Amino acid sequence: MTKSVISNDSELSILKGISFTINAGESVAIMGTSGAGKSTLMGLLAGLDQPTSGSITLLNSTISEMDDEQRAKIRSESVGFVFQDFLLIPSLTALQNVTLPMLLRGNEDETSNNKKAKQLLQEVGLAGRETHLPTQLSGGEQQRVALARAFITQPKVLFADEPTGNLDQKTAAHIIELLFEMNKEQGTTLILVTHDANLAKRCQRTLIINDGQCQENPC
Amino acid sequence: MLGKSLKINKMIVNWSWREICFGQLWPVVVALTLIIASVVALSTLALRVEKVMTDHGRSLLAADLVFKSANPISTTLLEKTQQQGLIVSSQSQFQTMAFSEQKMQLVSVKSVESNYPLRGELNLTDQNQQLKHHVSPGELWLSARLFTLLDVEIGESIAIGDAQLNISGLIKDEPELIYNPFNSIPNLFIHHSDLDKTGAVQVGSRVNHRLFVNGSESALVMLQKETVLQAGESWVDQNKQGSTGGLIEKAKQYLSLTILMVILMAAVTLILTCLHYVRDRSETVSMLKSMGASRAWLRLWLSTQVFMMFVVAFVIGSFLGLILEFLLRLPLADILPEQLPSVGAQPFIFALVVALCIGLPALLIPLTRLLDAPAINVIQQQKINYTKKIWWLLLLPFSALLLFYGANKLVWMLLIGLLLLFVFLATLSYGLLKILAKLKWGPAFSLALSRINRSPRNSMMQLAALSGSLMLVALIWLIKSDLLGDWQQTIAPDVPNVFAVNISPEQRQGYLEQVDRLALPRSDAFAIIRGRITEVNEQSVSEHLGSKEELPHILQREINFTWAKELPVYNQLIEGQWTGEKTVSVEQKVAHDLDIKLGDSLTFEVNSQHFSATVNSLRSVQWQSMKPNFIFIFSEDVIIDLPATWMLSFRVEQAQGELVNQLARLYPTVSLLDFRSMGNKIQALLRQISWSLTGLASLGVVSGVLLIFTLLRLSLGERKREITLYRTLGASKKRINQTLWAEYGLLAISAGVVAAIAAEIILFSLMKWGFQLPTQLHPSMWLILPLLAVLIVLLSLSSVIKQLLKPLR
Ligand SMILES: Nc1ncnc2c1ncn2[C@@H]1O[C@H](COP(=O)(O)OP(=O)(O)O)[C@@H](O)[C@H]1O
Ligand SMILES: [Mg+2]
Repeated sequence: MTKSVISNDSELSILKGISFTINAGESVAIMGTSGAGKSTLMGLLAGLDQPTSGSITLLNSTISEMDDEQRAKIRSESVGFVFQDFLLIPSLTALQNVTLPMLLRGNEDETSNNKKAKQLLQEVGLAGRETHLPTQLSGGEQQRVALARAFITQPKVLFADEPTGNLDQKTAAHIIELLFEMNKEQGTTLILVTHDANLAKRCQRTLIINDGQCQENPC
Repeated sequence: MLGKSLKINKMIVNWSWREICFGQLWPVVVALTLIIASVVALSTLALRVEKVMTDHGRSLLAADLVFKSANPISTTLLEKTQQQGLIVSSQSQFQTMAFSEQKMQLVSVKSVESNYPLRGELNLTDQNQQLKHHVSPGELWLSARLFTLLDVEIGESIAIGDAQLNISGLIKDEPELIYNPFNSIPNLFIHHSDLDKTGAVQVGSRVNHRLFVNGSESALVMLQKETVLQAGESWVDQNKQGSTGGLIEKAKQYLSLTILMVILMAAVTLILTCLHYVRDRSETVSMLKSMGASRAWLRLWLSTQVFMMFVVAFVIGSFLGLILEFLLRLPLADILPEQLPSVGAQPFIFALVVALCIGLPALLIPLTRLLDAPAINVIQQQKINYTKKIWWLLLLPFSALLLFYGANKLVWMLLIGLLLLFVFLATLSYGLLKILAKLKWGPAFSLALSRINRSPRNSMMQLAALSGSLMLVALIWLIKSDLLGDWQQTIAPDVPNVFAVNISPEQRQGYLEQVDRLALPRSDAFAIIRGRITEVNEQSVSEHLGSKEELPHILQREINFTWAKELPVYNQLIEGQWTGEKTVSVEQKVAHDLDIKLGDSLTFEVNSQHFSATVNSLRSVQWQSMKPNFIFIFSEDVIIDLPATWMLSFRVEQAQGELVNQLARLYPTVSLLDFRSMGNKIQALLRQISWSLTGLASLGVVSGVLLIFTLLRLSLGERKREITLYRTLGASKKRINQTLWAEYGLLAISAGVVAAIAAEIILFSLMKWGFQLPTQLHPSMWLILPLLAVLIVLLSLSSVIKQLLKPLR
């Protein structure tokens, strides 16, 4: 699979021929220098973008042949995200932010959604903060809300793009603990983009992107 | 399925509500609310004032509609009115001699039916000071002046033509007032059944017949349509006449112009706040998409927000609008009737239509672009490719404009002119900034200038919005000031209210001294010579005018000429100079109507004597100023030798009525025209309207300033990220501070200058072609606008600077 983009009227190849398989339940770290194409790769894997050539299969669907809407449907059903800048909705409370993916899925049972969300918030240590707005929470707390949000749909695959990039070390460590803990609990496939070699070690596999190529790090 | 989408709605509604209350949507809602509130308030007020004015006009007319004819009213017309169930009343009007025991006097006789007047008020007082409102058979009512002129008392008898009638009493107030100081023949009322006795109505005698008609609007329109007018016949309704008509008309024009400008300002805010909102929201949309939101869901989400914004804005806006209307109406309490005419749902519907016409394109065009924000943006900022364009929504406001103002060339000229002007000025100021950037400046200024020049589109938008709103603020205020300045001559406390005409040359000196002795402020005395204009450049006027369908009014009767050493100071010289021999100065509108230019040679006729004069100047004349005014003023040498009478005007306070009687007794042959009560009414009316306009203008200015303030704060808020970046790169707070001040200061000053130029040009055009008032420059605005802009920048910048310099978490 390759990905290139037109930038300033010239073609820029970001990914030059990448091929690998990730099995269900695995946890995989994607590493590489800044600008290597980690985010690009993750976006492709999650079906946020389309490859220039080649094909991508996610959960038995060839997402590289699907249109936007079909990919969105797959994401809403079986994919979760944790972003570097948290991306919470500022006008919604912590609880409402967590239940949001359920609504996008069309799951409208408010009481059960709220119950699940409360449970998850408790798990990430934010019990009693349900009605707080994102601005009333610290960065680490916001990312914990984001974790709860990612897990509420019980996704089959979870993508995390440098989830601790904007946090200080101590908070970051805590978030990572939570991430792996919840991942284990739900048996989710985890694809984690990170700079941190120590963090990568905690994953079962590590892929390193370099010069548009990808190699498996044998650990 | 239905249940599902309804549930989603509930959550989305909840969410939208939070966005409106605490989120980024509230500036958008405020702009929408402002549009609705101002349209509701101003159109309610306009409708009410309009209704009151119509009633006022009709009472001056004595009916809803008047049919005028030189011949007796035809029976076919009378039958037609009967068929349509209209109420009618006939009147005949003629001039004849009235004789008392001692004296005789030319009088204007009005013979009316018992139901006269159909509108307005007729107040008659008899011997016992009993008030009556209608004329009965056998009665005779005289205007106050006739008692002196004929030297008679109530109860005595006088002869009118062949009829001998006893005086029933005095006319205190009558409708059908014609405000013309030269219409000096005093009038009296008799009943229609006594008309034949006077023997005045004979074949060939000059009698004016009127048929007053009241009825429903549609029936009146129908009647006019079905009647074929013969020569000498015409319809008159309140639109076609009116003494204060010109002024009220201008006030109404101002009102609708203000509505237009407030809407424009609100539209600017709406568009900018929407763009801002969309920029802010695109990340959220990407995030929702990455979590699997479908386009349909996003569409539902956005349309719910838009719908709710309209609902909230409509409810709050209508309520605010009613309060605003109440406040604007306060100074008008005296002229508005106690039982206010109801206006129905019209203003609300109108406001909603306006809000939709502006709001839908302003909201939906940027919001649909939001749908194209790619999901990938959550991890990688990418340029957005917009798929769908719904620019056709712009057709909405334009077709609405076409519908409302389709035929109104002025509005189109204004809008197109505005646009061109703006493009021109924006380019100009942008060029200016470019040039500035080339010069050597301190580091803060260079940085600021490079920032402005780096994102030209953004800077232009800001500049356009800032100077646009500043210009509208200036316009709202200055149009008001110019209008009121024009009225000042009518409202001023020393405006003359009594005219003395028909003063013989021998009496002139003595009369002036007498008036001065009584310490009444007066005008100069003017000679009056009645005559006609016959030729322009040795060509008869009708030939000169060629193809014009209808000859101007002034050709149809004799008008008053005068001569003077100097032009009256209260006339404004528009063109040419008051110099030279055998010359004449012409009022500009008449000059325009008759196609007269400087240097033309005009020929006049007075008592079958012909003489010529060259046009040396054109003047503008304010007829409502109650000062002696003339269309033609000649240099002394032209007509000084022609036989003339003299006239002057002076000011008499309400309490000084006795002085007027004294003058009347001393000079019985001089006609005194007393406009005190009418003048007072007009003055009070205008004073109240000017209060109202001032209030309106102040509100417009305040909301404009608030708008600019909000826009600046929004624009500054968008800088947060960039400033944080500079801070991380090590820029000192001081440097950032200075750069911001320099950038926004420059922006403010150039916007102020651009706004001043634009306002001046538009004001000039509006005054000249719209209101037809004298134009002037407004030097103080050139200073105030940039200052105001800088001041607003100062306030908005200092209100956010602390927060801007705070590091991001
Ligand atoms: N749409 C695009 N246009 C131009 N360049 C892009 C685009 N998307 C990614 N890139 C470039 O591709 C490279 C890889 O980006 P990315 O995947 O975000 O790197 P990272 O490994 O740091 O996450 C970067 O140099 C980036 O500038
Ligand atoms: Mg990245």
